[in-house]
Amino acid sequence: MSPTTLEPGRDDEHRAGPLFWISAAVGWAVIAWGLRGIFEHSLDTRPANLARFVVGGALLHDLIIAPLIIGAGVLLARAVPGRARAVVQGALAVSGIVALFSYPLVRGFGLAANNPTSLPHNYAAGLLVVLGGVWAVAAAIAVVRLRTA
Amino acid sequence: MSVKLPDAVQRFATDPDEPLRQGAYRSALRDERLAAILGAALGILFSICFLTGLYSHVQQNPLSWLPIPARPAGLYRLTQGLHVVSGIASVPVLIAKLWLVWPRFVAFPVAKRASHLVERIGLFPLVAGGIFMTFSGVANIAQWYPWKFAFTASHYWMAWVTMGSIVAHGGAKWAIARRSLARPSRRPALAEADPVLETTAEEAGSGLSRRGLLTTVAAASGVLTLTTIGQTIRPLRRLGLLAPRDPATGPQGRPVNRGAANAGVVDLANSPAYRLEISGRVARPVSLTLDQLRAMPAHDTVLPIACVEGWSFSAPWSGVRVRDLLAMAGAEPDRTILLESLEPQGVYRTSTLNAGQAADRDTLLATHLDGEPLALDHGFPCRLIAPNRPGVLQTKWVTKVVVL
Repeated sequence: MSPTTLEPGRDDEHRAGPLFWISAAVGWAVIAWGLRGIFEHSLDTRPANLARFVVGGALLHDLIIAPLIIGAGVLLARAVPGRARAVVQGALAVSGIVALFSYPLVRGFGLAANNPTSLPHNYAAGLLVVLGGVWAVAAAIAVVRLRTA
Repeated sequence: MSVKLPDAVQRFATDPDEPLRQGAYRSALRDERLAAILGAALGILFSICFLTGLYSHVQQNPLSWLPIPARPAGLYRLTQGLHVVSGIASVPVLIAKLWLVWPRFVAFPVAKRASHLVERIGLFPLVAGGIFMTFSGVANIAQWYPWKFAFTASHYWMAWVTMGSIVAHGGAKWAIARRSLARPSRRPALAEADPVLETTAEEAGSGLSRRGLLTTVAAASGVLTLTTIGQTIRPLRRLGLLAPRDPATGPQGRPVNRGAANAGVVDLANSPAYRLEISGRVARPVSLTLDQLRAMPAHDTVLPIACVEGWSFSAPWSGVRVRDLLAMAGAEPDRTILLESLEPQGVYRTSTLNAGQAADRDTLLATHLDGEPLALDHGFPCRLIAPNRPGVLQTKWVTKVVVL
C-alpha cells in the first residue's frame, strides 16, 4: 500500500497531543448539551423514536448501503472495460445520489390536499430529465476521451 | 487479536484470487488526502448549516437578551436559503466521505490506546448525526415525515450532537489532514500497477482517479443545487425540476406552506363577524371591521416571504403599519406584541414582535398583495408581513394584536 493510503489503525502510530484532548473535551461537552436538550424536550423529540432513526440511519448506511455501493463498484469494474469506466462510475454515482435525494419528491409523500403549491412539479419526469442530462454529458465526455486517446 | 479484520479485508480486496479484488481503485481512492479534502468541505458546509440553523432557532425561540433586529430586511431569506442550499450540497460530499472511510468502521482491534478509543467512540455520533441531519433535512423540505418526533426540536438538538462530534473529530484529524493537504498528491508507483488490468489506477481508462472522484462529488452537488435553488432564486426557477416549491405557483402566483382549508379558517376568515382587536396594555382597546381596517392609511413595501424550508419569494405588499395600530390604541411603548391568528390550533397560530420589530416602518398587517386583496390562502383578511423574519412567523389570518 502506498504511504498516503488510508490504513485502518494507522492513527495508532500518532500519540494524541493537547489539541486532541482539548477538542475532545469541548466536542463531548457540546454532544452532552445536545443529548441533554433531547431528553429535556422529550415531548417533542420523542427520544425512543428519534433513536430509531439516528441509529437506524447509521446502520442502514454502514451495513446495507455502503456494501451495496462497493459491490456495485466491483461489478462495474468487471462489466465496463477500459477508458469508459471512470465516466460510467462518475455518472452512476451522480445518478444514484440525485435519485436518492428525489425519492420523497417522486413518491409525493409530502403532497398536501387543498394546497396546489405543495410539490407542484412532476418529479418523476424531472428526475428522468436530470438523469438524461447527466448521461448525455457523460457520453459526451466518453466520446471526447476515446477520440483523443 | 486472533482475527485481524483489516488484514482479511485487505486480502479480500487486493488478492487477485479473491472475488472482491478491487485493489485497482481501492488503493488510489481510499486516500488520506481525499479524505481530508472531503472532510474539510463537509466541515465548512455543516458549519454554515449550524450557524444559520442557530439563527433560525433564535428567530423562532426569541431570547429577551438578544432581540432579533428588523434589519437588514432580507437577512433571514439569505441565511435560511444558505442553510438549505448548504445542506443539500453536503449530501454527495457526505456519501463520498462515508464511502471513503467505510473500511475504518469495521477495523479491528477497536483501539490500541485511550485516545484512539475516544476517537472511535466519537465516530458514532459523527456518522449517525451527519446522516440524520441530512436525511431529516431533505425529508423535511419534501414535507415527508416518516417519524413521530417533532422535526424542528429534534433537528435542532441533534445539530449540537453532530457539531460536537465534528469539533472532536476535527481536533483528532487536524495534524493528519494538514500534513496530507500540504503534500502534493502522489500517483501510485508502477509497482502497484494492477496485475490484471496492467495499468495503474490513476491512468486514464481504469476507473475514477482521485480528481475524478472530487469532480463527481462536485458535479452531484452542483446538479442538486441547480435543480433546487430556483425555489429561492427566481431567475433560476425554470431549472428547479427537483425543487419542492415553485416561487411562481400558487394563489396569486405565489406559493404558501399551508392554505386556509388545511388551517381550518375558511369560515372564520369569510365571516362578517371578523374583527381585528388591539388589546392588552393599551389605553383604549380597539376593534376594527375589515372595512375600517382598509380605510386606514395604507403603506406599500416590498418584502420576502422566506420559508424555513428554503423557498422564498419577494412581493409588493400593502396594508396598515403595526405601529399606527398601536398608536391608535394608545399602547404602552417598547412592549412585546403578540399576534393571534384565526387558526383554532397549531404551533404557529401566534407569533411575537419585539419592540424594534413592531416599530419598524415596514412591519404591516397587509391586506393586499400585488395590489389585489389577499387571497384566503395568503392570509385574508390580513396577515403580518415584517422584515427579516421566517415565513412561519409571518402570521396569517390575524385577528388579535395583544400588547404584552
